[in-house]
Amino acid sequence: MLPLKIESLAVSFPGLATPVLAIDNLAIAAGSRIALTGGSGSGKSTLINIIAGLERIRTGRVVWGEQNLADLSEGRRDRWRAANIGLVMQDFHLFPGLSALDNILLPARLSRVASADVIKRAHMLLDTVGLKRPEQHVETMSRGEMQRVAIARAILRRPGVIIADEPTASLDLESGAAVGDLLLSVASYAGSTLIIATHDQRLVERLDRRLLLKGGRITGDTDHKEIAA
Amino acid sequence: MIGFILADLRRLWLGGAVVILLVALATALGVAVTLQERSLRLGSARAADKFDLVIGAAGSETQLILSSIFLQPAPLPLVDGAVLSKLAADPRVAWAAPVGFGDSFAGYPIVGTTTSLVSSTTSGFTEGKMFALEGEALLGAAVNLPLGAEIKPMHGTAETGGNTHASPAYKVVGKLQPTGTPWDRAILVPIQAVWHVHGLGEEHGHHDEGEHHEGEAGQAEPVAQISASQGRKYALALGAASSRHVEEEHHGSVDPDAPIVETFGAGTPGLPAILVKPKTIADAYRLRQEYRTGSTLGVFPGEVLTGLYATLGDAKMVLSAVAAGSQGLVAAALVLVTVIHVGQRRRQIGALRAFGAPRGSVFLIVWLELFVLVALGVGIGFLLGLGAAHIGSQVFTAKSGVILPVGFTREDLRLALILLGFAAVLAAVPALLAYRQSPATALRA
Ligand SMILES: Nc1ncnc2c1ncn2[C@@H]1O[C@H](COP(=O)(O)OP(=O)(O)OP(=O)(O)O)[C@@H](O)[C@H]1O
Ligand SMILES: [Mg+2]
Repeated sequence: MLPLKIESLAVSFPGLATPVLAIDNLAIAAGSRIALTGGSGSGKSTLINIIAGLERIRTGRVVWGEQNLADLSEGRRDRWRAANIGLVMQDFHLFPGLSALDNILLPARLSRVASADVIKRAHMLLDTVGLKRPEQHVETMSRGEMQRVAIARAILRRPGVIIADEPTASLDLESGAAVGDLLLSVASYAGSTLIIATHDQRLVERLDRRLLLKGGRITGDTDHKEIAA
Repeated sequence: MIGFILADLRRLWLGGAVVILLVALATALGVAVTLQERSLRLGSARAADKFDLVIGAAGSETQLILSSIFLQPAPLPLVDGAVLSKLAADPRVAWAAPVGFGDSFAGYPIVGTTTSLVSSTTSGFTEGKMFALEGEALLGAAVNLPLGAEIKPMHGTAETGGNTHASPAYKVVGKLQPTGTPWDRAILVPIQAVWHVHGLGEEHGHHDEGEHHEGEAGQAEPVAQISASQGRKYALALGAASSRHVEEEHHGSVDPDAPIVETFGAGTPGLPAILVKPKTIADAYRLRQEYRTGSTLGVFPGEVLTGLYATLGDAKMVLSAVAAGSQGLVAAALVLVTVIHVGQRRRQIGALRAFGAPRGSVFLIVWLELFVLVALGVGIGFLLGLGAAHIGSQVFTAKSGVILPVGFTREDLRLALILLGFAAVLAAVPALLAYRQSPATALRA
């Protein structure tokens, strides 16, 4: 639901001569579904971290809607991310010892926003992602099931943006496809902007627009119609 | 948050248990030392405050107090019996009572004394009445014998090779209320009887200057402290190894039915100690001063205890230093372990932030987890220390009769707060590391 605009972004790490990411201009429309591709080390995760507000922006502007992330302090960036971004990572980052439901609710609880409504929504989301046992401890789940819990957690607070970094990379083909389906359907149901960094060609083909990164620069930008064509 | 912490601790219960145990043991050590030292002070002060002034022959003040108040068996020089007569006649003295030691029965010391001492230092009888005849005895509250029991005095104690007197036994006529002092373990008899058992006193004025040697040479032979002979400076009390002995041939001259006489005239035998109750505090100081010259020694038990406390304080300081050292080591080990632990949990903790947990709650989780463990350890340590001090005190009471009051005071509350404050700071170290952990690197790790 939020549009993204990136201007003159450069990300460097100490000890490296050239920036690992350099994007002069990039605009992503609200509600669009973007695939971020490129070889290993091309800067996909770095870009994901930047637009998710996980990393500090030293040079350039990253504007979601009206909000330039570069202007936010670390604490405010955390709060902005909690409210606006749903994150799904390759490793699920679930918390062993807690049930599926508790995992979904954990960040909301720690932010003290887990109202009765939010808890009800968590139950509903478990159903949406196709899980039957809310009390099952996550360490006893299959990897596909774990990633579904992670997706439910990402969309609990109805974020305007869903960002996923290699969400299917550690799954087998079948459950990878199911997770891809799920991401697409929850994003289109809520109208969220969806950005997925992935090597998964089948997933790429189902998205609207494909950005190709190489050495930290965007070297390809194709619409789905052109891919299909 | 609490649920998350509990789930986390449940997962890491073994490490958590080790942390709690370490902290508890280190705390218990310090607490036990503090409690035990304090209870020794309080207990001994309480035991001593029944007696205002002790007068003995010139010698060791400490030994005089240990023997007369704590009934510790040891040799004491004897003070001339005339001193007692003089004190008894002194207008500044409320009462002055002789004490005589040397015999024992069933492991309990037999102390010869007077009715005035018994009635002024105890709160009455639980059973029976005061002794009135030479052959009657009273029991301290901690003496496990029945009313009417026969008491056959034995020289010294059984363990040190004492032998039973041929004289008639005492008959128990009363049992005293507890006083919380070593005298609770004593069997009290008329001093006159002690003299007579040992062949001393007015009716037995003559003595052989201790030339008689009882038993085989080298045999450990404890001796009564009562001796008419002032030429012989030392008598030996319970447990002392010596072959010197008051002659046995004088024994057996006790008349159990003779009424007790508590006026001490010129023929009074030498005494190991005289307990004096002065009428006023000023009198007490004056008497102490007067009897600190030449052959006598006037002592306030309190001043001797103060000297002993200094030694006790030194011992406590050493033990406290050991305890503090172990606490420091535990603290250092904990910091190390938790810093490593948090390092390994970077992913988990950083991830919490990435998925929307506020930075403060990340700090709080790590801080609470460690603080709860340490606080639990401190709490358990205090209980363990209290338990250890209780056991120590009970052992001590069983051995000495001195009741040691073990309990927490404000000072301990302060120690607890200091330890908890320290735990709070300690727990903040890994918490701060987690707080500063970048979520992006955490996800990547
Ligand atoms: N903290 C850092 N310090 C130094 N270099 C870094 C750091 N983070 C990333 N890089 C470098 O930035 C480049 C881009 O890394 P990035 O993780 O974005 O690649 P990627 O496209 O996600 O690769 P992959 O497909 O393997 O996940 C790499 O060369 C990496 O070594
Ligand atoms: Mg990557």
